Amino acid sequence: MSKTDTFIPQGGSKPRKGRAQVTTFGTELVRILGIGVVFAILLFVLRGDPFLLNILAYTFLFGALATSWNIIGGFGGQFSLGHGVFFAIGAYTTANFYFHWGISPWLSLIPGMFLAVIVAVAVSWPTFRLKGPFFAIATLALNEVAFVLANYFDLITGGPRGMMLPFKAGFANMVFTSKLPYAIIMFGFLLITLLVAAAVLRSRLGYYLQAVHLDEDAARASGINVLRVKLSGMAVSAALTGIGGSLFAMYIRFVDPPTLLSVQDIGVKFLLISLIGGVGTLYGPLAGALLIIPLEYQLRANLGGTIPGFNVLILGLLLVLFALFMRKGIVGAALSLWERYKGKSHE
Amino acid sequence: MSDLLTILVVGLLLGGIYGLVSMGLNVIFGVVRIVNFAQGELVMLGMYGAYLSWHLLGIDPYFSLIIVVPALFVLGMILQRFILQPLQNEPFMQIFATFGLLMLFQNLVLAITGGAGYSVPSDVARQVIRLGDINISLPRLIVLIAVVAVAVGVNWFVNNTMPGKAVRAVTQDRRSARLMGINVEWAFMLTFGAGAALAGLAGVLLAPIYTLSPQIGGNFILAAFAVVVLGGLGSVWGAFFGGFIIGFVEAFAGYYFDPALKHAIWFLIFIAVLIVRPGGLFGIAGAEEMGLREQD
Repeated sequence: MSKTDTFIPQGGSKPRKGRAQVTTFGTELVRILGIGVVFAILLFVLRGDPFLLNILAYTFLFGALATSWNIIGGFGGQFSLGHGVFFAIGAYTTANFYFHWGISPWLSLIPGMFLAVIVAVAVSWPTFRLKGPFFAIATLALNEVAFVLANYFDLITGGPRGMMLPFKAGFANMVFTSKLPYAIIMFGFLLITLLVAAAVLRSRLGYYLQAVHLDEDAARASGINVLRVKLSGMAVSAALTGIGGSLFAMYIRFVDPPTLLSVQDIGVKFLLISLIGGVGTLYGPLAGALLIIPLEYQLRANLGGTIPGFNVLILGLLLVLFALFMRKGIVGAALSLWERYKGKSHE
Repeated sequence: MSDLLTILVVGLLLGGIYGLVSMGLNVIFGVVRIVNFAQGELVMLGMYGAYLSWHLLGIDPYFSLIIVVPALFVLGMILQRFILQPLQNEPFMQIFATFGLLMLFQNLVLAITGGAGYSVPSDVARQVIRLGDINISLPRLIVLIAVVAVAVGVNWFVNNTMPGKAVRAVTQDRRSARLMGINVEWAFMLTFGAGAALAGLAGVLLAPIYTLSPQIGGNFILAAFAVVVLGGLGSVWGAFFGGFIIGFVEAFAGYYFDPALKHAIWFLIFIAVLIVRPGGLFGIAGAEEMGLREQD
């Protein structure tokens, strides 16, 4: 059952009476709308608190990024540790357009996104031959190559010193004096990402990706073009990750290699959030982000100053514990509890 | 001519370091079929072990081997028994768990030391052997000798002793090995312990060469992956020769291109080999998929 354990069958496992319940994109649309309303209320309530708005903005951003990773990593079972590369591409593209030519980040989201997709497809084409841990190692190495190159080509990236983006407040520059507009932008990005992920999951591509995840050989034998399916999933995932990178760059107005390409802070965080929320489920990564990002901020605020590295230490511990005891994450555990509860109430 | 010779010597000595660091990773992968992302951190713990032994007991780092190597052996056994054994047939969860261990160890040391860099003083470390124009530092030469000794030793152990044969049997077919009365779990625990002990050995021998920092494991783990993949997964001689390949590539790339790019160059070679020949240059074709086959 090794490959199926991270996979949660959708729509319940027991046959029910009456009309068959199939979760479609329409069903997910209603759920996402519900999530949207809750977060919109939360944003409204917290609108005057910059500290909490900052945490909320990061939660939305990383929830969205983990959801993007989950498209290829969770649905497709390709454990990429190299999504930081696509993230950095988006960030550097937007930073360069804004810094050198004063082009609005709203416009440079698009070239950043396309560049991320091109690089993702180009590097994934050969690496998708590798399976499981070997794919993870290769993508980890890719992240390191990107780190070295980003430090080396300082004309584009600003090298190790990084690039400070000038503060020119205005909607067109995506630079604001208050935290609220950023939180709203991240919120919008999260909704878009959830919609895209739902559309992928409930489409042919999503079912193909899950088939590849469960058994690649069987999927191929059933006539699925495995490479094309993986590449499509990767392209969607990288596109969203690139956009996330652009937004991140404009939010902190500073880009440098350790911020963008650190494996522990960026690349692995997408996996970590997804695992803790529930790999392969649509809402798991969001649930993970809702837990992890505020927790990390709390740890950093309270203990980061006195005990360096303590926040990452806790994340590492959580990673081990969830791998051992809660492989399906929060959402998986909640679903199985729900199934058990329903099973009891029927009798 | 003397430049070329210098580069060759530098490459050889670097290769020794990379080979030694990779031995443990390869032993663990070869038998237990687990890609241990935390291996670099075990090396780092070995280095800090050497520092601690010097700091608390005042012994020369080279003598701290008698403390550090057994300690890491025990740590390895504990990790295998309580973390990796429950994840035996869960390759994805193994990635999560070993990466979690990486973050845990690294930041534990960071939290304890506050991130200050340490260096381990040793009389041996200052010795330099002169051969004509070429200077060879003694600690690096010791590493080179150690890697040869370890490769020969592990090879001898696996081929000529009963426990070694049991380990090979487990590697080939777990079920049959179990039917022959081999305790597979024990074999795995001992192997993981041995892999961790080798990391400890590497850490102690490298402690006089590097400045200690909690993040230093990151420098080793990717090099070790590159070595193991280049040389051949699960092949002792693969790790041995793979180390020298990476060492030479780094030395030549650093000299003829740009030292800043040497890592990018060997990463690219590494990715290329991983794609063209996933089993490695010395590995058995298809070995890379064995870990994904379900076994019990």
